Amino acid sequence: MLSTKIWTLLLSSFFIILCISPVYSQQQEIRILHVNDFHGFAVEYRPYGSSEMQGGLAYLAWKIDKLRSEKPSLLLAAGDMIQGNNWANLFQGKSVIEAMNVMGFDAMVVGNHEFDYGQDVVRERIAEANFPVLGANVTGVSELKQYIIKELEGVRIAVIGVVTDEVPVTTHPRNVVGLEFLPPADRVQKIVWDLRNRCDIIVVLSHLGFTGDMELAKKVNGIDLIVGGHSHTKLEKPVFVGTTTIVQAYEHGKALGVVEITVEDRQIAGITSFIEPIHPDPKVMNKTVAAIVDNYQKKVDARMNETVGVAEVDLDGKNVRLGETNLGNLLADIMRGASGADTAIINGGGIRTSINKGPVKVNDVYSVVPFDNYIVAIKLSGKQIQETLEHGVSGFEEEEGRFPQVSGLIFTYDHKSPKGSRIKEVLIAGQPLVLEKDYTVATNDFLAAGGDGYKAFGDALKSSKDYSVMGGTIKAEKLVYNDSGRWLRDVIIDYIKDQKTISPKIEGRIREGK
Amino acid sequence: MKVYVNDREVTIVPGMTVKHALIAAGLVHEIEKGKRVYDKYGNEIGLGGALTEGSKMYVR
Repeated sequence: MLSTKIWTLLLSSFFIILCISPVYSQQQEIRILHVNDFHGFAVEYRPYGSSEMQGGLAYLAWKIDKLRSEKPSLLLAAGDMIQGNNWANLFQGKSVIEAMNVMGFDAMVVGNHEFDYGQDVVRERIAEANFPVLGANVTGVSELKQYIIKELEGVRIAVIGVVTDEVPVTTHPRNVVGLEFLPPADRVQKIVWDLRNRCDIIVVLSHLGFTGDMELAKKVNGIDLIVGGHSHTKLEKPVFVGTTTIVQAYEHGKALGVVEITVEDRQIAGITSFIEPIHPDPKVMNKTVAAIVDNYQKKVDARMNETVGVAEVDLDGKNVRLGETNLGNLLADIMRGASGADTAIINGGGIRTSINKGPVKVNDVYSVVPFDNYIVAIKLSGKQIQETLEHGVSGFEEEEGRFPQVSGLIFTYDHKSPKGSRIKEVLIAGQPLVLEKDYTVATNDFLAAGGDGYKAFGDALKSSKDYSVMGGTIKAEKLVYNDSGRWLRDVIIDYIKDQKTISPKIEGRIREGK
Repeated sequence: MKVYVNDREVTIVPGMTVKHALIAAGLVHEIEKGKRVYDKYGNEIGLGGALTEGSKMYVR
């Protein structure tokens, strides 16, 4: 009798244990944390048009630590992490990788801007990373992995990395010589076929942009989740395309993406996601990451005080809206030289201050050109150059910022003539401007986009044949130079460093006359 | 590359971003006033966001 009771008790206990055992239920809760397009914004900042401080790597790291402590998690970066802000640029992204190592990233995919410092630097950063860097559709960088497989609570998760095949459009051609960026869908499909039976969940870590992610989800069967970047999209909720879930977490560390996945019998039983905004709060920061941020920020501050060369004359940034100045000439010459263009036309308003005779510091150059501008060169007809100059001098009386500073050309204007007919003579390489002839004109991206009312660059592009990427370089009829990965101010610093001394003069490039 | 800001076509250099499209449309100062940019699906996008041929965005 006693023996029967004991056996009954033992059997009941066994079944109770069996019922509550995870082995029996086969259900796991896992979490994927993700960031994208960080661009080196380690220090919190007030975004353009916002009234509040946002971001801050130390606060982002604290939030990651907290969420990761609650359940098994992966931490992923969807590209464009190491270029953009000075905190990253002055160290060619080394600072970012150091912080990411401490934060315990599981994987990162290369973004287009990871190539902005050149291939050697890409390889150096990959070597420094304690986590794999992915790029399944990139050939020529053997250090990039196609995918990784991670196991969380017995769930096998594959993470495949792909980057936009338009990388050569967004960086200088020299940065991608010998590399190929293959159509991502083909590569992903092949890898998914290979991995599907070996893994429970397939994640694509993508730097294709939201539209590209949706196209990928439509084209490729078998992707469970796409963690995206490139378009800086703030996806507050997941987007579903068939059986694929797409997420993306804005930009600059201002948000952390969180994906909650329930797995049952090795299949996704439920998936949801949300965005966790990041704001500075000294009470909730990762102190180790905060120390890294501070350490590099001190180096940034020190770098600002470094002397890069000597100005043998005062450099006039004050009168750039009224006429030719030696500083305007210097900057226009540097831009023309860097791009190999026939001429350069820039807006005087883009030159914000003067530099006194004597040592030139990094901070002096940053003060002259504080904006994140880069050099573009576009073919304009002689007629378009004439119209551009007319537009430039049309705001002379109001001292508008569109007044031009030039290189490689001389023009004469009469500010008393009616607007639209003030330009009297234009010489390029000493020869009169030929209205029907094409010339290459260097400028900054602001004017190329139509800033300050300059329309000729956009008009020229409209008439350009479709651009294409061939062998790692851009082929376009009108676009001849485009280096979005290198700020103009850094080009100027490198020039002054190289020259050691500078003494630009007023040369009569801009003449008043009738 | 042609993109659309508030349904108006603008032409920018390939590789340019949301910020450049707003410059081309003369709307970048709207952001300083507190307006934001959204893609055609209603998702907010950052000024550095990449664009592709035919991208549509709205400032509001």
